[in-house]
Amino acid sequence: MRGSLAVTLLLLTMTAACAPSTKIILLPNEGGGGTSGSVALLSEEGDTVATIDDAYSVARVHDGGRRDIGQTTEEALAPRHVSLIQDLPQPPRSFVLYFEEGTTTLVPASEPALVDLFKEVEARSGADVQVVGHTDTLGSGPDNDSLSRDRAKEIAGVLIESGLPSHMVSAVGRGERELLVETEDGTSNPLNRRVEVLVR
Amino acid sequence: MLIRTIVAFLAIVCLATTASADIGRVKKVRGDAQIERDGQLMAAEPGLTLNAQDILVTGADGQLSVTFIDNSRFSVGPNSRVSLERFEFDTTTHEGAFDTKVEKGSLAIITGQIAKQSPDAMKIRTPTSILGMRGTRLIVEVEQ
Repeated sequence: MRGSLAVTLLLLTMTAACAPSTKIILLPNEGGGGTSGSVALLSEEGDTVATIDDAYSVARVHDGGRRDIGQTTEEALAPRHVSLIQDLPQPPRSFVLYFEEGTTTLVPASEPALVDLFKEVEARSGADVQVVGHTDTLGSGPDNDSLSRDRAKEIAGVLIESGLPSHMVSAVGRGERELLVETEDGTSNPLNRRVEVLVR
Repeated sequence: MLIRTIVAFLAIVCLATTASADIGRVKKVRGDAQIERDGQLMAAEPGLTLNAQDILVTGADGQLSVTFIDNSRFSVGPNSRVSLERFEFDTTTHEGAFDTKVEKGSLAIITGQIAKQSPDAMKIRTPTSILGMRGTRLIVEVEQ
């Protein structure tokens, strides 16, 4: 009698002490094409213990590290998982704006983009706008970082003047890190000197 | 006109390296969904900005969608508790660190610039795992 009580208590303690398992389902990247990224299972020290990189892989990780890895399909996903995916926010939408050299005057060709930008903001729940400044490769990296940031701030101001609530707008500079047109260092290129506005 | 422009200019949140505030924003909410901040609960609403250390909490019918400033995105399912433990992000270099703990419930994730810049700089922790994100889209669920 006491023996089975002890066993029961021991089993209860073991169950209570077990942390709930984790299920991981790797999904294909947005936009179809079937490619997926990958997820690494890490140790406390940050070492990679295993990698999951096939779309629709299902991994379950139990307390103590034991894991099972299997496979599912899009059709076999549980309704609650389909729902979770459908509720992901939409991707940001990017609008590129060009200005008359050295001014905050939009070139005529960019005017439609501005109109679309405002429509996109209206259409999104809880929208926010990130203005990103980009430079060409003329000048040093750090100078271009500052220049692009200042430029973004300036254009953010213009957008706020045009009606966007200021709490919705942020401004960042990416310097010469995202060239639209690949050029050598030290090359002036007006296509690279642009402002990108992300509506999220 | 000039004054207004100057005021607007100063009001812009412009950060090269981010503070721990305004790391993201609630986009959509359904049912019982709240943000726990400094021990206080507040109703989640579209447009609400989030800080590092905020905890996303949903009830049995709750759902919450969030976009972060590195363009990573979350969808929080019902009966969940998701803690935004650490968020650091340099908006110029895209270097950063983003640690989230799924204490219970479920989360769909699309990674953003932090994960793209450095593999495993974005991590999701659960009671039984630590996951390094590598430019990816996935579901994490803590089983009952």
